[in-house]
Amino acid sequence: MDSSRANRVFLFVVDNLIWVFVVVSLVVFSLISKSFFTPFNLVNILSRVAPLGLLVIGQSFTLITANFDLSSESAMGFTAMVAALLLASQKNGGLGLEWNPFVGILVMLAVGVLIGLLNGVFITRLGMNNFIMTVAMLMILRGATYAISPGKSVNFLPETFKWLGGGALFRVPLANGKMLAIPAAMFFLIFAFLVAFVVTKYTRFGRNMYAVGSNRQAAEAAGIDARRVILVVYVISGFCAALAGLLDAGRMDSATPRTGAGLIFPVQAAAVIGGISLFGGRGNLIGAFGGVLLWGILDTGLNIAKVSPFWIEVSRGALLLFAMFIDALKVSYLRRIAIRKVLSASPIGLKDPIQQLE
Amino acid sequence: MDTSQPVILEMKGISKAFPGVQALENVDLMVYGGEIHGLVGKNGAGKSTLMAILMGLHQMDSGTLEINGHHFTSMTPHEALEAGIAYVPQQVRMMDSLTVAENILAGNLPVNRLGLVDWKATYQEAQERLHKLGLELDVRERVEGLGVVEQTMLAIAKALFSNAKLIILDEPTAALSRVDIDRLFGFVRSLKKMGVAFIYISHHLEEVFEICDRVTVLRNGQLVGTYVVSELDIPRLIRFMVGEDIRDYERSSSKQDEPVLVVKGLTRRGHYEDVNLVVHKGEVVGLSGLAGSGAASLGRALFGLERRGIGEVWVNGRLFTARDPRQALDQGLAYLPQDRYRFGLVGSRPVRENITYTILHQLLNPAGLISFFKERTLVQRYINDLGVVCPSPEQRVNLLSGGNQQKVVFAKLAATRPAVLVLHEPTQGIDVRAKIDIYRIVDELARQGVAVLIISSEVRELLGVCDRILVMYNGKITAEFKAGEPVTTPENILLTIEGGNINEQKQMDPVYS
Repeated sequence: MDSSRANRVFLFVVDNLIWVFVVVSLVVFSLISKSFFTPFNLVNILSRVAPLGLLVIGQSFTLITANFDLSSESAMGFTAMVAALLLASQKNGGLGLEWNPFVGILVMLAVGVLIGLLNGVFITRLGMNNFIMTVAMLMILRGATYAISPGKSVNFLPETFKWLGGGALFRVPLANGKMLAIPAAMFFLIFAFLVAFVVTKYTRFGRNMYAVGSNRQAAEAAGIDARRVILVVYVISGFCAALAGLLDAGRMDSATPRTGAGLIFPVQAAAVIGGISLFGGRGNLIGAFGGVLLWGILDTGLNIAKVSPFWIEVSRGALLLFAMFIDALKVSYLRRIAIRKVLSASPIGLKDPIQQLE
Repeated sequence: MDTSQPVILEMKGISKAFPGVQALENVDLMVYGGEIHGLVGKNGAGKSTLMAILMGLHQMDSGTLEINGHHFTSMTPHEALEAGIAYVPQQVRMMDSLTVAENILAGNLPVNRLGLVDWKATYQEAQERLHKLGLELDVRERVEGLGVVEQTMLAIAKALFSNAKLIILDEPTAALSRVDIDRLFGFVRSLKKMGVAFIYISHHLEEVFEICDRVTVLRNGQLVGTYVVSELDIPRLIRFMVGEDIRDYERSSSKQDEPVLVVKGLTRRGHYEDVNLVVHKGEVVGLSGLAGSGAASLGRALFGLERRGIGEVWVNGRLFTARDPRQALDQGLAYLPQDRYRFGLVGSRPVRENITYTILHQLLNPAGLISFFKERTLVQRYINDLGVVCPSPEQRVNLLSGGNQQKVVFAKLAATRPAVLVLHEPTQGIDVRAKIDIYRIVDELARQGVAVLIISSEVRELLGVCDRILVMYNGKITAEFKAGEPVTTPENILLTIEGGNINEQKQMDPVYS
């Protein structure tokens, strides 16, 4: 009984380690720099990481089912470019159509869904490896983004389009008499994570995701259509990528051929740091939110502390490595407990206990 | 057997207890060089545990172990290998996508002066080594391209290359045709002449008579004896295996008249042929057979995990058309898989979620979200009813004991309120107390009107809980035993499972009845 309580304590701490890190990093950076723990900076962190956060939501969905979506950064860039081309005037790099912003948003979301659908169909119906499929999609979409772009960024987008990514929801007066704009992106980010959390935890679909990711054979034997679950997960990921594109293009007031490029690594890192297991079936969206926060805090904090960008990159890598280490530790620890149980509690020693656990 | 040969293995007074079971009690086993030694006993007799001790997987509680004159009081798997013990399972695991030669020389591939693999030397060396054992295989062939029997023989050869003196063959013939069995036996006999010793574990008793010199019989963790095979016959061997058996469990029938599961002329070539069976409301029917008899396949097919082939299945008077597990559950048939770790449970998720996966649609609140209140109430009820011992419903399932895990699977199935419940080896790897609990659960479900079909190789278990026991052999139902009739004895059932005919055997051996 004692050891099983120790197990539970260990697992609880490991599962919620991310919030310890978030708090510690907040405290450390506040001590290092006076300009860190200010309302302006904190609000800024949240709105800056919003596009990343949306990608992390999509990635978490796929990871929970033990699948990767490496194409999401390109999907983000592609959808942003499509929308910008439709909305911007000709002299700002657009096609000169200057469509209604709402139509533009709908089109880009539809494109995102379509990309997810393509990924999902290829992976679930044709049995293609999810890793390779999404890498292929990553390359195709990045190339396509360059191909359809005017070769440079597309700027000056309509106000309505920019509101979600760069607009302010309302302003609050600060003690020093200045006004602090509360960005819409910050609220949207929190809202999106809440929705994602509810979907994963409180719906049948969400529960099925965990089952599929944790033990696909058992899930199928329980009557869950694993292929459909995975298909839907990719569609969600595509949709989230389009939302990320909307936020990013809005914040920057432009879409460039490189929008989103290189983001996939931070996305994976933030998800894993937030406790989403690459082995599938484990982790929750609240933890992933913590991962996104930690990423933003570290980025901004190290910047404010005037750390060289090269060392920032090194620290990101180290953080990712550490998170992977914790994840691997957790998995091997669980396996060890389980194997010990199988070996000690049953007289079936021979029939390959390790196999029985998988 | 040649007693002039040195003793390779001597196990004396081996005892081993697990929580809730005395798996072995004072068991002896002695094997000579060049001997093929059969090891028989029903499931749970202690064969596996004894072999696990010999392989260093389990530590014995007491007893002595001597291999080739070396004395061991405890042994690690590594030491067992060093001492010359090798285990060849039914399904050999090798590096499938590599060639035979690479598998033989893995870790020790010859290299040329540049430090690159010398393929010519590799193939030559592998060929020579196999040739010495009298095994002719194409060493350039990939292992996945070999037949099952070749893979088994290759595994034996590999063991010998790493200096094995005693090879444990665990049900090597279960997936083999007669021709392949002859090839395997020929190979084993030729190695025997070279002085290699074998322990041969099999449920196919006629094979034991065909190839073994002596046979050791275990029953309920105890040694019945070691016998020279030429002085024995099958009915006597079965009697040794069964003994004066006391049943695990007794239940009175709750059978009602209404048929619930009706299978008519179900045939799938290579699996089963013209299967007809009826399970009534509240009835518990057992189905037993050797591996490959079709019983297991039938269970999986009913649940839609495999194709069913031609023929009809009716559930509750409606044609059963389910093609996958979801449809099967919706049409009232639930299935407990044999391999609960792979198919029955989602190990890293809590008990609560494992119980409710199949019935989440019944637990939604008006907003369409899962009602945690409804879920908790239901889960708590099943935990109480089935006596699942867990600190909380949030406990991860893979941290529970085997018996409790099985109860969780039962809870999941019972929650779907099935009309038919198909159970496949429901008590495998579970301690005695938990077994009794499982029988109680089966009994209770039957009393609630569920039609239960138990596919099991444990005859004693079936005798305890079933109203009727059907036996499958070679894809056909060959015998039916009704509870309480004088002919329904473990001996008779085992005999028919082995493919024998009760009436014939009676004539052959008048003493036997």
